Amino acid sequence: MEIPINKAPPTVMHIDLNSCFATIEQQAHPGLRGKPLVIAAYPTPGGCILAPSIEAKKLGIKTGMRVREAQVIYPKIIVRDPDPVLVRDVHKKFRKICEDYSPYIVPKSIDEVVMNFAGVPAFKKGLKNIGMEIKKRFRSEIGEWISCNVGISTNRFLAKLAASLHKPDGLDIIDYQNLKSIYSNIKLTDLNGINIRFEARLNSAGISNPLEFFLAKESVLRKQIFKSIVGHYWYLRLRGYEVDDFESYRKSFGQDYALAKKTNDINELKKIIMKLCEKMGRRLRASGNCAYGIHLGLVYSDWSFWHHGHKFKCPAFTTSELFSKIMIIFNRQTVRKIVSKVAISCFELKPLSDITLSLFENDVEKRRKVSIAVDKINDRYGEYVIAPAIIIDMKNTILDRIAFGKI
Amino acid sequence: MNQQIFEKVSVITSYNHEKNQAIPYKIRWRLREYFIKKLSYHHKMRQGRDLFHIFHVTDGNLDFKLHFNTEDLTWILEEVSDGNTD
Repeated sequence: MEIPINKAPPTVMHIDLNSCFATIEQQAHPGLRGKPLVIAAYPTPGGCILAPSIEAKKLGIKTGMRVREAQVIYPKIIVRDPDPVLVRDVHKKFRKICEDYSPYIVPKSIDEVVMNFAGVPAFKKGLKNIGMEIKKRFRSEIGEWISCNVGISTNRFLAKLAASLHKPDGLDIIDYQNLKSIYSNIKLTDLNGINIRFEARLNSAGISNPLEFFLAKESVLRKQIFKSIVGHYWYLRLRGYEVDDFESYRKSFGQDYALAKKTNDINELKKIIMKLCEKMGRRLRASGNCAYGIHLGLVYSDWSFWHHGHKFKCPAFTTSELFSKIMIIFNRQTVRKIVSKVAISCFELKPLSDITLSLFENDVEKRRKVSIAVDKINDRYGEYVIAPAIIIDMKNTILDRIAFGKI
Repeated sequence: MNQQIFEKVSVITSYNHEKNQAIPYKIRWRLREYFIKKLSYHHKMRQGRDLFHIFHVTDGNLDFKLHFNTEDLTWILEEVSDGNTD
């Protein structure tokens, strides 16, 4: 089966803020502008770099490096903590500007949105003009240091590729006319979704660049390389057809924390687990769900990993229900080693309204109502105004963070 | 260098009715006065029902992060930065 390139006019726009966390920090602090700066999860030497500024990227500093590695490259590198409140505010303004042009907006992460202009009146203006206008508005309405990349194409995959062609501050269009020339000038790993493992798989089938990938037959991709429907999706994606426009639903909530002070002290670990449960529970309850499945993962100081998940008959909804179930799993550890990271999650979510009440436990409903009331109080008067007594002395432990791919 | 301060400061603000924008004009902190040249970023934040206005401003040499609590009308200098390595 051969399908031609999609020759429809491009209607998808991908917008990506350049070096989001770092650029926003430079916007708020003019003294940092034009200087190599990294935003790290923690400013300590082992802290993971979340975003290097454009100046730091030019020196070869990349996302995911440790602070100490960046300091080897450039000893005077400026290291800052992320400011989630500030970044979320920029995201809101960024999204609001985009909403003026199309109602079909999907935020892909804190710094990326995809807009669809199919059937939207603003389409008549021309997507290139809209892209330029959005860039101008970012500078005037958010801040003069904020720049973004705009990519325009017929599907999300090619729009994202277009947005990555000329960084920073680029605007590119990929359509049926320039598609092949663009594929011939990039590497396989420049394609979103292709990293070294898929690259190796493609290489083993004799495909060494995106143009060869594009020219590969559908049957080869489906039967030989990807060995599934994924091969067919790639065939369509590379030709500009939309296959990524689907809605995904939340299946779990999770929190993790890398301990500043590694420990095997059960009381210390209980406190951390309780705080993680409180944070996870708040999100779970706000979604109106309860969870039947609980998972606990522990990374030990010797880098070994232990994890266990369990589905319970009774769902967990309140923080104490989550905590007690996690402690059941915690106590299943065969060896108690020094813990360096704790990760908890809950899955198998069901709407609270669908839950059958227990015949034997009378006060479950009462406890859940109390939990909802406590959440309301915390919403009104601030986080942890009412909190489990065990975590009362750890206000600044486990800070607010923006996860990759989330808002 | 970036320093966390969290001290109350005296602030004079100016309001421009045409732009509908309020900007700190002068800060008095530890007996020194700083004239604000530019508002770099302004946003709001809620802690429970309390609303805070956060102003990132600069006097040309130092960058200041100011917190205005709309509940008790206090100004807190949260952070001072000179844009250099710590």
